[in-house]
Amino acid sequence: MKIIIHDLDESYNEKLKAVCDRVVCADGKYAPCQGCFNCWTKHPATCSMSDSLHEMCRIVGQADDLVIITDNTYGGYSSNVKNLLDRSIGASTPFSTYRGWQMHHTLRYGRKGNFKVIVYGDIADNEKKTWELMIERNRLNHGYTSTELRFTDSIDKLEVSEI
Amino acid sequence: MKTLFIDCSPKKKLSASGFLVDMTSLFVLGSKKKMKLRTRAEHEEILKELEDTDTVVFTMPLYVDGVPSHIIPFLKTMEAWCKEHKPDLKVYVIANNGFIEGRQNEPLMQNMENFCIRSGIKWCGGLGIGGGVMMNVMRIMIVVVFAIAVLNLVITGMNTGNFLDKNIVIGFLKDLAEVLFFGCGIITFDIWLAACINRKKEYGKHYTRIMLPSFIFILGADFFFIVLSILKGGVFRGWLSKKKPTLP
Repeated sequence: MKIIIHDLDESYNEKLKAVCDRVVCADGKYAPCQGCFNCWTKHPATCSMSDSLHEMCRIVGQADDLVIITDNTYGGYSSNVKNLLDRSIGASTPFSTYRGWQMHHTLRYGRKGNFKVIVYGDIADNEKKTWELMIERNRLNHGYTSTELRFTDSIDKLEVSEI
Repeated sequence: MKTLFIDCSPKKKLSASGFLVDMTSLFVLGSKKKMKLRTRAEHEEILKELEDTDTVVFTMPLYVDGVPSHIIPFLKTMEAWCKEHKPDLKVYVIANNGFIEGRQNEPLMQNMENFCIRSGIKWCGGLGIGGGVMMNVMRIMIVVVFAIAVLNLVITGMNTGNFLDKNIVIGFLKDLAEVLFFGCGIITFDIWLAACINRKKEYGKHYTRIMLPSFIFILGADFFFIVLSILKGGVFRGWLSKKKPTLP
């Protein structure tokens, strides 16, 4: 299953649906993660907060291939996308293991395919370097086997087929 | 001018970031203020505080390899404020993560450095701590152990007349020594960072951790989550199952 998460206008949903199985619009209409770990320890794979991200970890966990389209924020995700990722840690389990010679949580939904991030906006060279590190760390954390990173100053310059 | 500590944990109390603020501020001289950053309602108040601040210390947990999402809108607001007011600010960061390797905080440190570059303020470096959850549990437990030891001393004293029972005191000192040993890296690097704040010097980026081999730490973390999941009931609710979304 291929899933696209984006922080663009909702009008992009239809366009993106043509190239994936599910589109998630990170619209920011949800609360930030409270760090309670209840999605591991109390009601697994379910967030304590009953908003649109209540079961987001199950959706993210099911993605074999994940594409994230995000505005650049200091070499990291926009707050709307980051919020969604923070609230998705239930896609892993509370148990720990080694991946890439470092400690990580074991994966509830197993290993995955390709992890692609498309970053748009004004991106400085130092931020591009941070992005390279960021997606490699994310790949390890989420258990993806490969990554793709693409920068563009405007998302409208990309053809849907390139996503 | 003063040092402003911004505790960026989303938790109301007993957070690791809050503890790091308290510990670091012990070693920082001069005027200082501690503030919490949990919601947008606090943005304005913090910006007001920045007007007579020359050093800002952000303490925060690592969330999914970066800064927690609720911090990002504040950083954007502060960037705009800095561009308008052009303050002479120095920024330090103390980050902690639940994994044992402090180095896993590196992307967060780069995010914060990039924020400083965009805002035109001085990035002075940061400390990345591994084993933040364990550090936080240890500092809470040592207070509980201390309280039990005092209670024990009082009860023993009332029964025997000896209010300084050697065994109880030595038992507590052993527990305290263990905590200090596991946390010696964190304490040392934190004091070093505070010394840099006092001298207004760059700290660079440094990483430390709880002083335990990672394979023992992992076993301990697994045990911690098993106990917590039994107490909260998660083990009986499809603890490790591949749950599907219930909504289309």
